[in-house]
Parts: sequence; C-alpha cells; structure tokens
Amino acid sequence: MAQAGTLTRLRYRFIPDHLIGEILSKKWIDNAIPFTVLVLVILVFGALLPNFWTGGNLSMTARQLGEFALVCLAMTIVIIVGGIDLSVGSNFALGNFLALAFLNLAGWPLWVAVPAVVLICGSVGLINGVLIGYLRLRAFLTTLVTLIIVRAVVDMLLLKYAQAMSLSFYDNPWWDLMGMGNLLGLPFSFALLVVVAVVGHVLMTRSRPGWRMMAIGGSRRSAHNIGLPVKGLVCAAYTISGMLCGLAGVLYAARLSGAGSDTGIGMEIMALTAAVLGGNSLGGGRGSIVKAMIGAVIVLVMTNGVLRLGLNSGSGQMVLGLTLMAAVFIDVRWLKNRDKLLNKVYVSPTLIELPKPRVAGEGEFALNDRLGEVEIIGLGAVESPEDVILDEEDHLYCGTRHGDILRFFAPDYSRHEVFAHIGGSPLGMSFDKDRNLVVCVGGMGLYQITPERVVSRLTDETNRSALSVVDDSRLRLADDCDITPDGKIWFSEATVRYEMHDWPVDALESRGNGRIVCYDPATGKTRTMARGLIFPNGICTTQDGQSILFAESWACRIRRLWTHGPKAGQIETVLDRLPGYPDNINRASDGSYWCAIMGMRTPALDVALRNPGFRRRMSRRIAPDQWLYPNLNIGCVIRFNERGEVLETLWDQGAKNHPMITSMREHKGWLYLGGITNNRIGRVRLPGADPTWTGFGDYWGKGA
Amino acid sequence: MIGALRRVSDRLLGRGEAALTVPPLDGAWKPNNRLEEAAAGHGASAPMALVLQDGRPLWAEGARVMSAAGEIRIEPGVVTAMALSPAGVLAVGSDGIAIGGERPAALAGLRCITALAWDAEGALWIAIGSELHGFAERSRDFLEQRRAGKLLRWADGQLSTVAEKLGFPWGLMPRDGGMVVAESWCKRLIWIDKSGQRRVLAEDLPGYPAGLAATPSGGAWLALFAPRSPLLELVLREPKYRREMMAEVPPDYWIAPALSSGRSFLEPMQGGALKQMGILKPWAPSRSAGLVAEFNAAWTPLQSLHSRAGGRRHGVTALAEAEGSLWLAVTGGDEVLRISVREEAR
Repeated sequence: MAQAGTLTRLRYRFIPDHLIGEILSKKWIDNAIPFTVLVLVILVFGALLPNFWTGGNLSMTARQLGEFALVCLAMTIVIIVGGIDLSVGSNFALGNFLALAFLNLAGWPLWVAVPAVVLICGSVGLINGVLIGYLRLRAFLTTLVTLIIVRAVVDMLLLKYAQAMSLSFYDNPWWDLMGMGNLLGLPFSFALLVVVAVVGHVLMTRSRPGWRMMAIGGSRRSAHNIGLPVKGLVCAAYTISGMLCGLAGVLYAARLSGAGSDTGIGMEIMALTAAVLGGNSLGGGRGSIVKAMIGAVIVLVMTNGVLRLGLNSGSGQMVLGLTLMAAVFIDVRWLKNRDKLLNKVYVSPTLIELPKPRVAGEGEFALNDRLGEVEIIGLGAVESPEDVILDEEDHLYCGTRHGDILRFFAPDYSRHEVFAHIGGSPLGMSFDKDRNLVVCVGGMGLYQITPERVVSRLTDETNRSALSVVDDSRLRLADDCDITPDGKIWFSEATVRYEMHDWPVDALESRGNGRIVCYDPATGKTRTMARGLIFPNGICTTQDGQSILFAESWACRIRRLWTHGPKAGQIETVLDRLPGYPDNINRASDGSYWCAIMGMRTPALDVALRNPGFRRRMSRRIAPDQWLYPNLNIGCVIRFNERGEVLETLWDQGAKNHPMITSMREHKGWLYLGGITNNRIGRVRLPGADPTWTGFGDYWGKGA
Repeated sequence: MIGALRRVSDRLLGRGEAALTVPPLDGAWKPNNRLEEAAAGHGASAPMALVLQDGRPLWAEGARVMSAAGEIRIEPGVVTAMALSPAGVLAVGSDGIAIGGERPAALAGLRCITALAWDAEGALWIAIGSELHGFAERSRDFLEQRRAGKLLRWADGQLSTVAEKLGFPWGLMPRDGGMVVAESWCKRLIWIDKSGQRRVLAEDLPGYPAGLAATPSGGAWLALFAPRSPLLELVLREPKYRREMMAEVPPDYWIAPALSSGRSFLEPMQGGALKQMGILKPWAPSRSAGLVAEFNAAWTPLQSLHSRAGGRRHGVTALAEAEGSLWLAVTGGDEVLRISVREEAR
C-alpha cells in the first residue's frame, strides 16, 4: 500500500486546518476587519509622524481618547438598541460648561459637582429616552432637536457666564488628577475609560439588560412580542448615553479648564463615524463595546494625525470620510460573505493512513448469511433504533428518531408502547444497578429513565478543554454508554465538531474529534477522560470491570481505556485493522464481546482517506449525496475477545433486512439487532449460547 | 488571455468547464421503470453485440454467438461486436473479425472492436474503442482519459482509417452516407463520413453512450451503458487520486462507470445510496443503471426507458428494433429483453 509523503504527513500533523473554520464561526471574528484597519492606521501614522511613538504623544492621545471614546460608547449603546443620538456633542458641551460652572462659580465641592453634572446630562438623555422610547418619536429627529436646543442653552449660558468663569480658577489636587494626573501609570481619563468599557462589555455580553438591548436592536417588534420591556430599555439606553456624555464633558473640563462655543461641535459626526467604523450596525442589534473602542481609536488617531501632518483644513474630514466609505464597503461584503466562507472552509479533512485491513470474507470473516433469516420485530413501528436493550422480564427497549423510547413486550414482541419520551435522538442505552435506563441522546446529553418512567437529565456538559477555540463543554453527540461496577457512567461523544445528522461529514474529516466522558452519579460531576479519538462509538465495560472497550469507528479499531487499577487512564489497542467500521460493543454470554460493523471499508475510499485534498474538494464541489461513503449497505456483526481475536462473523450480505447494523444485544440465546437507518429490529437465534444469560444479570447479578 | 484567466479562475472556483454538474434527467429523459418492469426475457450471461436476423435476435456470450435456440458458433476470443449486412452476411468481431465465416488476414490483428456496421456501399465500418487497452480494460482507458479510439472502413479488401483520436467509439449506425458514432468517453454522438469529415449530432448526454440502432421513422435508439455522476466528473479532475486508485485498487472496485453494481461490499458507495428505512432510493447515485433513449431524425430525444438505482436491468450495451419491438442486450443484468415500444408511444 502506498504511503503519503513525509511532507504531507507533517503538513497535516502541524497545520490545524480545522481551526480556521472554528475561528470563523466565532462572533468576535466580526471585529477582524475593523481591527486590521486600526493596525494599519496606527502603523501608517506612526511611520508618517516623527514623534508618534514618544511617551508624551501617547499619553496625550490616551487622555483625549478617554473623553472621545466615552462619547463613542454613548453613541454605540444607542445604536445597539436601534436608535441614534445626535445630541452627544452638545450634551458633551453642556457637561463641560456645567462642570466648570459648578466648581468655579458656584464653588461646589468636587464630589457634589461631578455627580450633579452626570445626572443633569443624564436627564437630557432621559428626555430623549422618554420621547423616543415611550412616545415613539423618531430617534433622528428627536435627537436633532435636542442637539439644537442643548447647543442653544449652552451658548446662552456661555454668553452670560463665560467672562466670570474665565476669571476664576478652581484649585484642587483631585481636580488636577482628573485633568493631568495618572492612575496606576495610566492617564486618569484613560483609566476611567478602561473601567467603563470593561463594565459596559460585561453588561452588554453577559447580563440580562445587555442581551435584551441587543434583542431590541435586532428586532423591536419581536422583542416586544416575546414580552421584553422595550420602552423602558430604549429609554434607559438614551439615559446612559447622556450620562456618559456628561462624564466625558467633566474630563474635558478637567483637562482644558475652558469653555468655548466650539466645544463638542461636530462631535456627533465623529462619534457616529467611530461607531460605524468599528463595525456596529446602524440598523441595531449588532455591535459591541470593543467595536466602539476600535472605531474611537481609528478616528482619533486619524484626525489628530491629519492635523499634525499640516494638511489644510477639511482634509481631515475628507480622509475620515473616505476611510468610513471603505470600511463600510468592506464590512458589508464581509458580512454578506462570511457565512459562505465559513461553509467552504469549515469541513477540513485530514490525513488518515489506515493499515491494510484484514481480508473480509476470509478466515474468521468468512462470508455467510446467518443474519439473512432474522425474525423481524416492529417493522414500520420503529424508526432508527440505534441501540436495543432487554430487561430482566425480557422486554425489549429501543430509541427512535422521534425521541421516544419504545418498549416491546415479551414474549413475542408484537405489542409495543412508548415507554418514555425524551426528545433528541436516543442512541446508546444501559441499565444501571437500580434498573434505571441510562440513555445517550444525540444533541441533548445523558439522560436517565427510572422504572416509573420518570425522565431526568444526568448531564449535558463536561469540562471545557483548555486550548479549544470553540466552547466544547456542551455535549453534541453522546453516542454510547456503559456503567462500571462503581456506578460511574462512561460514555462516548463521537464528535465535538458536528451535530448528530452530520456524522458523514465527520467521517469525511476522519480527524480525532471525539472524546470519552465520565459521569459520576455520586458527585454529579462530569469529566472528559480521553480526547482526540476518531469517532469513539461503542462502549463496553470489560468483564473484570477494570477497563472499558471502545470502538473508534473511522480508525477501524477497538481500544481499551483502563478505568481502574495501576494502568488507569491508559489507552491500548485491542483489535485493529478491521475490514469495516466498528459501532456498538456489548458483552456476549461466554465472556467475549459482540461488535456491530456498520459498514465496510472500500479500497477506493481507503485511497481517498490518504488524500485529504481530494476529500476537501469533494466536500466543496459535490453534494453530500454524491460523496464517497464507506459501503454501508451490508449487515455485519463480529464476536471478539479481549486478546483481540475475532471469533466469528455474522453477515447479512444482501442487506435485505439489516444494512448498517449499529447495535446488537445478546439475551437468553438470541441476538437482537438495531440499525440507525433501519425501520425494524431483528433477532436471530444463537446456537450454543447460554439460554439463561442476560445482560442485566451479567452486570449486576441475578435478581440484584 | 482573458480565456486563459477565465479557465484558471474556473478551475479554482469550480465554475464553467470545471463545474461538476451533470445534465438532469428531464423532459424525454424523465426517469421511469419501463426497463425494470419489462417482462422477463432470455437469460444470458453478460450478453453483448445484439443483432436481429429475420426478426430473431442473435447475441454474444463470451466467445459464443447465441440465438434463442442455443449456441450458433464459437469465436477465438470474446465477441464484442456483430453486424448483419442487408444481404445477410454476418460480421463478428472478437480477436480479429470474421466475415461470413471467413477471417481476412488484414483484420486479424484488430483488438477492442466495439462496433461493426455495414454501409450502403457494402463496406464494413469498424470501431476500435482504444488502441491502447483491450475491451476488458476500458475502465483504465476511461480513467486515463484516453482518446485512443479509431474508426476503420473495410471495402473491397482494403482497410482504411476514417478517423482517429476518438473517445472510445462504442456504437455505429449508417446514416446519410456516413456513420453515426457514439463516442462514449466524450458523452456525445457524432457523424463521420468516409472522408473523415465530422459533425456533432448530440452532446452532453446524461450517460455514457454505447450501442446505436435505427428506428423505422429515421431516428435512432441509443443505449447508455452507465450514468454520469458528479463524483465521476470530480475523479476525472483528480490525477493523483486516479493514479493511486488504479495502482492499488482492483479494477472492479474503481470509481468508474460500471455495467452492474451492488454485488460486492468492496464497491465504492455514495452517500445517497445508503438504504434508509429498508429502502434504497431510486434516485440514489449509482455506478450503473439501465438507460435507453429514442431520438428522432433531428437528434431530439423522444422517450427513454430506465432501470434505476438498485434495479436489475443495468448496463444495456446493444439494441435493435424490429416490428415494433425493441431488443436489448442487458449486459449487466444477464438478460436479453424484448420490449414493445410502438403501441405505448401512441
């Protein structure tokens, strides 16, 4: 068999293609374009301006940023709820004037004056909020009106008090600290901004009001329909916006100690530009504090830079305008094509070199039709019985794709009932010592059904891996479970990258995407015990209870994970080079194990597995129905022992009744067969098998 | 220049010529089960090269030429083509060609004879599928994308080459002083006259064409021995994969058009062919299918007969019509069939 080149092997070993898709699926990737622009802008102006990187300049810029970015945050919060606030500039000027007036003229102490300013500016926001939120006026017009009125008020006040203010001077170390001092080595206003931004970020992304504001911005009507307090939250957003403007005004006053009629002129345009440049959607519902910060830095660096380059007036606005245009264009294209790109690159097949298989049809795999003559149970009544299990009274249980657990009544299994409804896709099952039925449910997690039919969730999440890009704590595809004598439930999660019905895509990737997880009912804790497994599927506790056997489907092998004893945690291979893809494993009456072979390796697919590039192009160019699969239209069950010897093979060559067998259970001299794509359960007599042996008795003792 | 750029970008993005789409079975090609549901015919082991003698079929099974009554004669090699002249002279192609029982020395060295046909001047036209590979190795010829087929003409003891570099010509039918040729790997029908002039009659067929036969109304029947599929188109654009597959995998299990399928679990399977709830969907992608179509004189398809995925009557390679009945050599389904086609067509 030909081998892949060393170069290919290294490439697939060390370049993690699958991470590209996972990174693209993260929400923060939306910031990629604005962030790139930010870096470019800083690099360009850093190179053009001689003293850009000096401490003095950086500290000055940071101080300005502290004020400006607060205004940008004010704008962003309003934009996120689907509005716009044009009054930020004049509100900022009002804040600046009031701070100076309270301190210089009225002589209020600092700790009264600053909160008073913030509250007054907040009340301007509140007026906006009431008009827009409760009275449903248009945000644009309303805030335009506030812009004009507040600006007029500031101008009138300036006319009256400007002269008096310029004569007096407020002397206070705290006030100086706010204006010129540092906090922990950072300029005060910048430090304050960091605090506000962190609190804001946590509120927007991790708190109920933040999520609700996002929801309102996404669709005000839907938010109303699901019962969110839309009016109050919109009003609150404008109030917060006003308060942030007031805070920025105070900082500005502390730095410059001067009030002029041009303070805050045009600031609403700059803040709007920053918000949009950062990637906040003007339509609302899509935005973040981080985006606003990125936008603020870009705009500030550019306007300052253009100014200091000595270009004539107006060119600053021009550069700003052109950048905005480019940013919006790129952002729109990016948004439109991001999902397409994600779809194209998410599937990333990797190199898998399977050793040459044992020959199917020869020796222990000799062809026969022992599964050809099955007794059919529940034809048409069940759909997708992935696993089957029998209790002590010989009743037969199986899951269906409708999320039911069906029970077929002994002795003839012609009658059945819905034993319990869980939802999801019930897969592997086990009985615990107390006769509770433990079920792995694809898409949901690990569930338990008591004999009284009470369904309860055991677990649906495990510890998150330290180095994963996507959050892999949620269980996506719990596949099969078994229970060790100490009561711990060991189950496999076949893949963390795909949902249950996308398992063929995982087969196409053939990467170690799966893991084995252990749930301890005593403590209620769930821990991942092994990861990087190639579609771990069937799980079976060995007869001595010291280890579990598990099937790694796409690797065509069965391995053992030691759960107890000196080798606990170690994995060793029991049976490899299988001619097909192993699925569930269960105990046989003579101390050996049954394993379902869901499909056969085909030589053409083996070649494809060695050619990840071919499989990648296949996944992108042709429909999944046309993909090369394992040959699954064959029924096959093998029996093997712990030494890795295959003892016998049962075939359904024509796959008339049982293509793709995913599970089998021995019970009192019969073998019961389930298949995830099938609409029937089969049973076939096992000549020579112990006619009294039951799985429950074997695990927990007779009459336990 | 722009064309070259377009080709590069097409290849990169899978558009234009690089698209892997196959023509849909639509209109006259709409799938049905007429082939699958036809009454049982004569059992035969991989019948090929069907001709009608006085309305009764002759066909080949391996080296033997058969009729319904039994074996007629044995040839030295596997018989892959036969033709009956209006005067009743039977030409049989196996290893070399026997004409009316004689074996002209000039024709003895010919291999991979896929079709024979007599023209109005009494000359015998000979289609050579590939000069590089034997008939049994046609899958390799296909995967290597060979255009190594040839069209020869045998007249008055002289053998002349009419056309070369054909993509596995598999069907011949005299028409308008020339020959209609089913160029299988190119998925098209072309017309060639004895001076070598060519004209495309039908292209981008939904399957790989094989045998041709005339209809009374001046049209033609065409057997398409296997369906096209996007996977095949993809594999044809993957030289490394093809090379490795041909080197390691037994030919029966290659991704290539086949005359029959589903007989071994080592055959490649495509996703849609997985049996769901005990049913193999008839639209499932399949390596083989039964497909026969009738064209009118202007080469517009009129009707088609199908045996779809999971069916038995796959891989029709030769056919002939007489007295309102269509006779088919179902090579993959081991059967010689007779289907009434005229009363159904109204």
